[in-house]
Amino acid sequence: MYIEELTLTNYRNYDKQKVVFDKKINVIIGENAQGKTNLMEAIYVLAFTKSHRTPRDKELIKWDAEYGKIEGRVLKRNQSIPLEVIFSNKGKKAKFNHIEQKRLSEYIGAMNVVMFAPEDLNLVKGSPQERRKFIDMEIGQTQPVYIYHLGQYQRILKERNALLKDLQRKPNADSTMLKVYTDQLIEHASIILERRFQFLQKLRKWAQPIHQGISRGNEQLNIDYDASIDVSEDVNSEKIRIVYEEHFNHIEQKEIDRGTTLVGPHRDDLIFYVNDKNVQTYGSQGQQRTTALSLKLAEIELIFEEVGEYPILLLDDVLSELDDYRQSHLLNTIQGKVQTFVTTTSIDGIAHETISEAEIFTIHEGQLVEER
Amino acid sequence: MYYPEPISKLVDSFTKLPGIGPKTAVRLAFFVLDMKEDDVLDFAKSLVNAKRELTHCSVCGHITDKDPCRICDDSDRDGSIICVVQDPRDVIAMEKMKDYRGKYHVLHGAISPMDGIGPEDINVPSLIERLKDEEVEELILATNPNVEGEATAMYISRLVKPSGIRITRIAHGLPVGGDLEYADEVTLSKALEGRRDL
Repeated sequence: MYIEELTLTNYRNYDKQKVVFDKKINVIIGENAQGKTNLMEAIYVLAFTKSHRTPRDKELIKWDAEYGKIEGRVLKRNQSIPLEVIFSNKGKKAKFNHIEQKRLSEYIGAMNVVMFAPEDLNLVKGSPQERRKFIDMEIGQTQPVYIYHLGQYQRILKERNALLKDLQRKPNADSTMLKVYTDQLIEHASIILERRFQFLQKLRKWAQPIHQGISRGNEQLNIDYDASIDVSEDVNSEKIRIVYEEHFNHIEQKEIDRGTTLVGPHRDDLIFYVNDKNVQTYGSQGQQRTTALSLKLAEIELIFEEVGEYPILLLDDVLSELDDYRQSHLLNTIQGKVQTFVTTTSIDGIAHETISEAEIFTIHEGQLVEER
Repeated sequence: MYYPEPISKLVDSFTKLPGIGPKTAVRLAFFVLDMKEDDVLDFAKSLVNAKRELTHCSVCGHITDKDPCRICDDSDRDGSIICVVQDPRDVIAMEKMKDYRGKYHVLHGAISPMDGIGPEDINVPSLIERLKDEEVEELILATNPNVEGEATAMYISRLVKPSGIRITRIAHGLPVGGDLEYADEVTLSKALEGRRDL
């Protein structure tokens, strides 16, 4: 799939901007603070209805405007589909084919996007929360039911934690209600964990050969799911449910003492190993970067496997940070099949042959000009 | 305020109602000024009467003008089945169906530790008392199909199960007259979960 054209109205530092894109590689050149990342963000928002940079939708509206709008045409399965996301004081609307979608879960997935930005290095280096967000976003892109289970899980978790705090203060209170919430939590937790295991198996399958390619065969990547319960990855949600039940029974008193839920998908993590060494703790900067890149490229293949079309790739300020070999490996992988957006401050750091085929835009104070 | 006091008082009263903002309140207040005096008196009376004469039924908790309420008092109804709902409006929805001949129990809310609502804060204790006194064979749990409603249903079921009373939960899934292809994935998977033998 690819974006044919994009129109921004009162979005961030853009007044009104319409661009027609190339279906292969689009390079956007501009000084700092001209709106390069804003443009990448706009494409991301069109896919997910929210920004990767901020949870506050209001920031997306140009500061003096009442509303902000992103419109795009996406070519998917040989059909051109208009998409639209509008932000105002009253909230946001997402339109698919000019029709408003009441549930965001029905809109998300209309367009698949994979973004690789400098902050994605946090995927390896950062907190477990970042890695959970990565898994959840990726599964959610292809499975709307997963988003539902995740939402219910978080809701129940909040209620359960509130109850545990109550029980902490009143030690002799009735614990029937706690058992109810434990049952409900497990129902969704076991499905979430099952889906995460399935996702991880696919991620490994794609990420391992890609990583080997980028590292010229020198590095072997492995990904472990660090679950808060002891369970093997190839079991179904029924089995997972039983393990959760036993575990929760065992730690009930401890949870009451601590006043919070100690086990579940919200406390799990991913661990990356390169040649059997934990990349987060022992990996070099370069290895961490390669790992993050392998994961992102694996994501592209994964989405192709699930959706049947390649997603749109956004490379925000990262191409120039990769060495020549990694750069050309990345560009070879996506060559011709993935519509790619690259932002950079200067064209010099980028391999010559790619540039010759690319559509070049320059950006200045929220004005985009096509160079050729 | 630029309005004479009687009007601004009326406007203030209207703004206390849900869904009514300052502009609508002003419009309603001026409309009242143009109404016939008798109509206004009737309106005022029904407001006061609704508040004064209605109480909650001491048996089921439904709103009523006599205690016990008409449903609890109706000997034609099957007292061996009790349908548990969250809100008096749910009773009215069920009654419109005209198919249900059992009795009700209105909880007036759902359990939510986050909002500080425990089982004792809604009509759960009175339900348990009622099950001890009356000959009940089936309890239908018709709380809303969201996290709070589901938790409340599971809690009641855990409390009542040991007594041997049959406990059922209303089904959720596809709406009647709807098309399968238009159902969202979540509803569809719920409907599949609750499938039954034919």
